[in-house]
Amino acid sequence: MTNHYIDLKNSDCILIMGSNAAEHHPIAFKWILRAKEQNGATLIHVDPRFTRTSARCDFHVPLRSGTDIAFLGGMIRYIIENEKYFRDYVVHYTNASFIVSPDFHFKDGLFSGYDAEKRKYNKDTWVFEKDSRGIPKRDMTLNHPRCVFQLLKDHYSRYTLDKVSSITGVTKENLLRVYKAYSATGVPDKAGTECYALGWTHHTTGSQNIRTMSIIQLLLGNMGICGGGVNALRGEPNVQGSTDHAILYNILPGYLKMPAASLDTLEKYLGKNTPKSNDPQSANYYQNYPNFFVSFLKALFDDKGTAENGFGYSWLPKLDDGAAYSLMHLFDKMYDGKVKGLFVVGTDPAVSSPNANKVRKALENLEWMVCENIFDNETHCFWKGPGVDPGKIKTEVFLLPASASMEKEGSQSNSGRWVQWKYKAAEAPGDAAAVGELTIRIMAAIKELYAREGGAYPDPVLNLKWDYIDKNGKYDALKVAKQINGHFLRDTTIGDKTFKRDQMVPSFGMLQSDGSTSGGNWLMSGSFTADGFNNMEKRGKDDPTGLGLFPNWSFCWPVNRRIIYNRASCDLNGKPFNPKRKLLEWTGEKWVGDVPDGPWPPQADKEKGKYPFIMKPDGLGAIFGPGMAEGPFPEHYEPLESPLTVNPMSGQRINPAIEFFNGEMDKVASADEKFPYVCTSYSCTEHWCSGALTRWQAWLLEMQPELYVEIGEKLAIEKGIRNGQRVKVSSARGEVSCIAMVTKRFKPFQVEGKTVHQVGLPFNYGWLFPKDGGDSTNLLTPTIGDANTFCPEYKAFMVNVTRI
Amino acid sequence: MKKGMIKATDAFERIVHWSLAISCIVLMISGLGMMFHSLNFLAVPVGGLKNLKLIHNFTGLFFIASLFFAVLMWWREAGVFEFPEDAEWIKVAGGYLWHVDSVPEVGKYNPGQKMFFLAVAIFGAAMAVSGLMMWFPLSFGAGLVRFMYFLHALGFVVIFAFFFVHLYLGTIGSPGSLPAMTSGWVTRAWLMKQHPKWLKETEHKGRLVVYGKEPAPREGQGHHA
Amino acid sequence: MKGTDFVKLIDTTRCTACRGCQVACKQWNEMPGLRTRNRGSYQNPPDLEWNTWTLVRFQEHENGDGVLQWLFRKDGCMHCTDAGCVKVCPSGALFYTEFGTVGIDRTKCIGCKECLFACPFEVPKYDRATDKVFKCDLCYTRLREGLLPACVKSCPTGALTFGAVDTMLKTAYARVEDLKQDGHPDANVYGDKFVGGTHVLYVLGEKPEIYDSLPQKPAVPLTVIAWKDFLKPLSLLAAGGVILGSFLHYIIHGPKSPDENGDRDAT
Repeated sequence: MTNHYIDLKNSDCILIMGSNAAEHHPIAFKWILRAKEQNGATLIHVDPRFTRTSARCDFHVPLRSGTDIAFLGGMIRYIIENEKYFRDYVVHYTNASFIVSPDFHFKDGLFSGYDAEKRKYNKDTWVFEKDSRGIPKRDMTLNHPRCVFQLLKDHYSRYTLDKVSSITGVTKENLLRVYKAYSATGVPDKAGTECYALGWTHHTTGSQNIRTMSIIQLLLGNMGICGGGVNALRGEPNVQGSTDHAILYNILPGYLKMPAASLDTLEKYLGKNTPKSNDPQSANYYQNYPNFFVSFLKALFDDKGTAENGFGYSWLPKLDDGAAYSLMHLFDKMYDGKVKGLFVVGTDPAVSSPNANKVRKALENLEWMVCENIFDNETHCFWKGPGVDPGKIKTEVFLLPASASMEKEGSQSNSGRWVQWKYKAAEAPGDAAAVGELTIRIMAAIKELYAREGGAYPDPVLNLKWDYIDKNGKYDALKVAKQINGHFLRDTTIGDKTFKRDQMVPSFGMLQSDGSTSGGNWLMSGSFTADGFNNMEKRGKDDPTGLGLFPNWSFCWPVNRRIIYNRASCDLNGKPFNPKRKLLEWTGEKWVGDVPDGPWPPQADKEKGKYPFIMKPDGLGAIFGPGMAEGPFPEHYEPLESPLTVNPMSGQRINPAIEFFNGEMDKVASADEKFPYVCTSYSCTEHWCSGALTRWQAWLLEMQPELYVEIGEKLAIEKGIRNGQRVKVSSARGEVSCIAMVTKRFKPFQVEGKTVHQVGLPFNYGWLFPKDGGDSTNLLTPTIGDANTFCPEYKAFMVNVTRI
Repeated sequence: MKKGMIKATDAFERIVHWSLAISCIVLMISGLGMMFHSLNFLAVPVGGLKNLKLIHNFTGLFFIASLFFAVLMWWREAGVFEFPEDAEWIKVAGGYLWHVDSVPEVGKYNPGQKMFFLAVAIFGAAMAVSGLMMWFPLSFGAGLVRFMYFLHALGFVVIFAFFFVHLYLGTIGSPGSLPAMTSGWVTRAWLMKQHPKWLKETEHKGRLVVYGKEPAPREGQGHHA
Repeated sequence: MKGTDFVKLIDTTRCTACRGCQVACKQWNEMPGLRTRNRGSYQNPPDLEWNTWTLVRFQEHENGDGVLQWLFRKDGCMHCTDAGCVKVCPSGALFYTEFGTVGIDRTKCIGCKECLFACPFEVPKYDRATDKVFKCDLCYTRLREGLLPACVKSCPTGALTFGAVDTMLKTAYARVEDLKQDGHPDANVYGDKFVGGTHVLYVLGEKPEIYDSLPQKPAVPLTVIAWKDFLKPLSLLAAGGVILGSFLHYIIHGPKSPDENGDRDAT
């Protein structure tokens, strides 16, 4: 979240799209309701299905799965045409005024630089024209035909009400209702926010769904303000923490980039990843990238990493250039027999991964598998799954009992980036141990093996600092946390402050690139004070701004800033746009309120002042976003499987930048009469993800006992399906048997002149337990993902539903 | 036993009577113990209300069986009013409430007894049906069960009141009655007062069994009639 | 309802049907979760059960304008001031607590099931295995320790609140006014106008008749009133009357003794 949960209460209009907030964030949802009760906020839910969230919103607008960009593109058009945008904000705080290279163009669904063979773009033309100083040229009137604003206007002029309605299946009346209500926040004293979750990310266009909303928020001046932002509601309590600490293949802790093989030296790597700006008003905070990265290397290799050996950079694993290593790639390679061993820690991919039949088949090719979990699950037991002959499986499976979150001490990060320290509430049963403990022990044994026997490349293993045990030889979470925060490796003076060796680094501004500091994750610097006080333990309930920032409750990255880009909540002179919600104010000497995005004076000070979006190289909000794989402006493409044979927007039916998986089990059936219904998958309040934890809980299972498919009344009548009847749902890849839940909450869509039905299933069930509860919905889903992140497409695919 | 005593009831009749009487008393006591919190102490000797409930329920079965035989045995003699004599009897209230010179002669059972029998039969059946449904209420609709609770209570009101009438008239209110249900032998005087018509008819038919006399040539009397 | 009474307010317009209350109730009261089936509804178990003292009911409702609503109503004991169940309970297992709520002492319950039918809301549920009746006691054990009922404690959105009767009534009516301003013209308070006032109040977004399994005019059944308030005393009165009558008969009229000469044949 750019903001945080409590801040939702400060909003005047909350668009919940790509999220079922009430069902999946039931605790946080109270702040959404509070916004309605205290500010009279309008709550809008845009979702294919009427859910428990819709029930509490002012209105629900059903849209066909996978058409969010079309829906939001129409909103951008509406905002520009009706001049609903916050002009001062757009001119001064975004790159709307920047002049784009004349070589950049967009034609029939493709931007300039597309390589159809590689399904990738050469982004050389997606750049700004620069002046003699190397600073992007701007037209503050926004009239230049090649300025970002005019290109944006051109691009979305195609997203007319008729077109959008025909693609999304949303009536024009409903479109206007949402556009009107939401764009009303494009004034200084109103805030609109957006809550999304897996409903946006689980698409081949997932990242661009979010990008489209970011553009809207920048146009309306909703970024960096109280009650604004683009807010990802993360699932499990610590999913934010796991991303912050690099659970994804392409990032290192703190969202540092995973090195590619061609960047074979530290210099090359830092040169590539350290952005430059010639604009004196751009803070370009990522120019400190080397400080963060070298400190990270020091945290890994300590005194083994020296300036001479690039602080051990060469010991880091490298990605092959251009190659991706997502979950889908992993199982694809495993299916091809190229993966020998697998660690499965706290996850159940045999249920949760797309095209689960392929995943289950792939697991059979493993030589060994180590599983760590608090319960048994379908992945651990793949060798005795449906249709599998255990006698023919050669995989050796180890299941290590892990302790549950209540049984261990540590930090937990929520969506609002609050990192809260928690304590052990109970001892784990039997031999169960914290995953940290298991990791420490396994790695210690590996280090010992390498020390004794050597190996192909022992250096990274042997040089790794591995000192995270306490006096009793047990895993010490506090030691790890301190290592993550970072400390001084020698006495250091920074400005007017002197730090002793072994003192904690109090903020990432103090991290150094000369090897004098160590820090496992720069974002977490400041989670301890220099003297070692654990800020994550703080439980102060004071709220000096009255805006619910609670600055003394736990630690919030970055540097306890509760709302990021908060300088954008003030005008050029540092006066709050909305005096009723003073998030930050420049007194003439300093900022008061939230922790500001840097101490510099506001932008009007041409000498010392800085732009508000300090993490962007240009210092401004990116309406034109060249970082994306499929183009600087989001464009509607149909899902891989859709009811349409052509994309009504362009000649490109699907996202041109997505990577295909072409294995024998990766069947696709789009616009195929055998699979005529759009299907989406989701979770329910009562279960969590694959259900591997919650299905064993009798109270939860009692409430949602088995797999069901929600289908609209019209489709049920058409198919002769009665409520509560057992039916079969099938896709090109597999089928599941489940209970039909006939409901008014799914209504057919009118798409391109034809009636399109949508159905949906939860993905919380698996064959292991309960025995008669149904198998995984992911037996149906395709192996395809977002072009930027490879987040799988769980939310739009085609199925058939038949009576059994 | 004095000579000349007349056999008014046979053993079976008396067994049925006392089965009914005892079960009724047990049911009333256990019922009262559950009906009034102030009488909950009645459950103490049996180890608690739950046992009292069980006793009540199973005694109910005993009551139903007794009632079945009682009705089978008595419905002709006590369940059917004879006209005009029963009407005449009712007009003078059988001579119970004020002095009358001569009470109309009625059959073996006078209308008062017939009313008592009918009350016991009808409300006893109502108690049986409602009681059974209250025992297994989940098999029936709520409205029906609720009515059964009402009926059970209503039946209790009637039977409880009649019980005392019966008790009084069977003992001190009508001396000489009790032996009819103990030994079965009653005096001719009592019969003349209470059941003159029956006495005369039975005698006339030669079926009267008198202590110390040869039995009548033909068998059969009492409930076999 | 007395001034010292406490009330749980269920604001259905704030409920997201997360069912935290349903689980919290089972957790505090140590009731098991049993194997159920999906019958084509989120509502599960289908009804209140001996092991399910509170249940969120799910109901799809389209209003006159075709606007779809998904109505959620947390069902459970209403804790009547004039409670049919207490009225009929033979053993005193059901009782009024000092908070005005209806408690249940299961050690006293004899499994007679009378309360099942005396309750206008059909709340008490019978368990064959233990031969006992179960229902919400509004966490009597927690209230006595100054804690909130488990359901209220678990509610994330503020749909469940608990407090003194006057405060809660004020809150409820104020909320209804707000709702009426905000496009819910039929919003109403449910619970204070019958059975002497319930200690569980609803703020309903729609008219009561719209909701499944919600009696519009709940009352202790007439048969129960006839039984407990009329026939019960009458039984004593009648029997007493008979006994008194018999006594008077005996002393005024005298027993109906056989005539002296009626025994003439007795030799």
